[in-house]
Amino acid sequence: MSRCPFPHHLFTRKSEKEEPSLPSRRALFRGAAAVGGTAMIAGLAPAYAAEPATAPEQPVDPALETVPFYGVHQAGIVNPAPAAGMFVSFNVLAEDRKELDELFRTLTDRFAFLTQGGPAATAPEAFPPPDSGLLGPNVTPHGLTATLAVGTSLFDERFGLAPLKPRRLQPMTAFPNDKLDADWCHGDLLVQFCSESAEANLHALRDIIKHTPSLLMVRWKQDGFLPQSTVRAGGRTTPRNLLGFKDGTGNPDASDPALMDRIVWVQPDSGEPDWAVGGSYQAVRIIRMLVEQWDRTPLIEQEKIFGRNKATGAPLDGTDEHDLPAYGADPKGLKIPLDSHIRLANPRTPETEGNLMLRRPYSYSRGVNRAGQLDMGLIFNCFQADLERGFITVQKRLDGEPLEEYVKPTGGGYFFALPGATGPGRYLGQSLMEAAA
Amino acid sequence: MKKLAALAGFAILLAAPSAEAATNPLDLVGPVSDYKIYVSQHVDDLVSRTQQLVDAIKAGNLEKAKGLYATTRVPYEAIEPIAELFSDLDSAIDSRADDHEKKEADPGFIGFHRIEYLLFAKGDAAGAVPFADQLLENVKALQTRIAGLAVEPKVMVGGAAGLIEEVAASKISGEEDRYSGTDLYDFKANMDGAEKIVELVDPLVKKEDPALADKIAGNFKTVDEVLAKYRTADGGFETYDKLAEPDRLKLQGPITELAEDLAKLTGTLGIE
Repeated sequence: MSRCPFPHHLFTRKSEKEEPSLPSRRALFRGAAAVGGTAMIAGLAPAYAAEPATAPEQPVDPALETVPFYGVHQAGIVNPAPAAGMFVSFNVLAEDRKELDELFRTLTDRFAFLTQGGPAATAPEAFPPPDSGLLGPNVTPHGLTATLAVGTSLFDERFGLAPLKPRRLQPMTAFPNDKLDADWCHGDLLVQFCSESAEANLHALRDIIKHTPSLLMVRWKQDGFLPQSTVRAGGRTTPRNLLGFKDGTGNPDASDPALMDRIVWVQPDSGEPDWAVGGSYQAVRIIRMLVEQWDRTPLIEQEKIFGRNKATGAPLDGTDEHDLPAYGADPKGLKIPLDSHIRLANPRTPETEGNLMLRRPYSYSRGVNRAGQLDMGLIFNCFQADLERGFITVQKRLDGEPLEEYVKPTGGGYFFALPGATGPGRYLGQSLMEAAA
Repeated sequence: MKKLAALAGFAILLAAPSAEAATNPLDLVGPVSDYKIYVSQHVDDLVSRTQQLVDAIKAGNLEKAKGLYATTRVPYEAIEPIAELFSDLDSAIDSRADDHEKKEADPGFIGFHRIEYLLFAKGDAAGAVPFADQLLENVKALQTRIAGLAVEPKVMVGGAAGLIEEVAASKISGEEDRYSGTDLYDFKANMDGAEKIVELVDPLVKKEDPALADKIAGNFKTVDEVLAKYRTADGGFETYDKLAEPDRLKLQGPITELAEDLAKLTGTLGIE
């Protein structure tokens, strides 16, 4: 299942020195694989080898793009976010640890196939086809990643895993501005599907459902999207959220493995259970944006709420998006208000240095309420090595911010993205299952 | 599946032999004829129970009518794959408010669930009288049409999967009998209807795929065990809101797996 199922030339493209100024998506994918390789953790097998760095010039069909599945860390976290994201929370129906182990193995097998592609499974015509056929007779990966995370409830009495719960994993509780809907919260498992195509994500989900009838039940699901221009730039430009502001400018550099080790990945001797090393806490929040009201708000007020220029993304004391705000020179918040979103989220002080996280959000749009107002907003999504120092601390700083008048968190949950499967024969959740044995 | 079958007398249409399975079409003659009897008995039962419900409504006996509502539906739910062949009657007998644009206020909302709505949500037996008469007329029409129906093996065997799809789509979520909360009666009746079909073809399935037959039997047993916990002293069931979340989740896996496995039955038996 690890073998490339398509003729190799279909996957190759120009060598990097011939690339234009922006790196190709392909190169970024290789970069992601290299992160997995260089961020190796002692005691684990090497990450599955990435492809050679150079290849002959050939056009590449974006449908055939792949992101390596095997690695010390799961894919779908530090590689650039592609155009389509889908977050699916599941109830686990497995009744004992043996069935849970079977579930982890099945999910791993399916992820390994779906992310690398190959001929769709078939059956005699008198039977229901085992593949939905959504992508045709050949399952084209479209750069798919499927990232598996576990929720607090997986560590309840059902599987005897309570002593192994990651230390910071806890049920998401409502912040003062939240209006949580129980049908859109929590879950035993979360799978984050990301690819260049909404169909590839849906195909993957239907494949998972088909393969786990007795083991999984979908609890909630939210699709998301990113601006095409951002995606084409390989994550090097910052996407605008549905309030029209650039969102993610201050994100740490995901291509810096040492930085990711510090901010994103659980490290040995961090007080976390050994099995969790190489994993990451994932916080997902479905945040409705009250866009009609926002669109009736003066620009100057919008900018003061965020702390950035709407057009350029520059902090209000600077001229370029990537200028660092000089809060020290503006102690009273005359330029960037003290309660602006960027200033509260990251005050850039030595004490708040430890509150960093890697954000990987998507926008969503899902219909209209009874008042004729649009239900759209942000699937906030972030990864960090310490949930409390990361998301929870930052969100507490944001409690009461002026932006709250225009946003309403309604769902989501806290999860722990499992360490990666390091090669064929290994499976997601294996370190947890072995620690429990 | 909702197509109007030809009224072709009490004949049994045989499947052509298939390349994939060795089931002799003649082996299906017995099961199909037994199933036809099962369906006839159920539709007769439906008519007599509906008559009792209508009598109670017309007598203005609200409590008695409410007490009869759930059990009147049971024979209908057990033979739903056959009843659904007559889509005009199925809609008139068993459509839910959701099936209509104006929901409860829609004039097209008639049949069992309209009566359920009036009895349980409105406490209005008198208002239910015209709908009760209409329901009785329609179940009698169903009885007549079924008497003249040729049951095809494909419809019968496919019906087992259809019944479980019913359960998976609306019974397990408690959407079917929302005013009375009597979903578990329908749930059990759908299961019994599917189990009857499986039982009739079980020897044939065992010959083709014994592991599949065992897995199906195991899941029926699990569902029965969970539902049995909600039996009441009078032989009925607790209301849906009593179904504990862990038990609902316990039903979910076997139901979904049954839906997958029963969908393979026609293929396994080589029925075209």
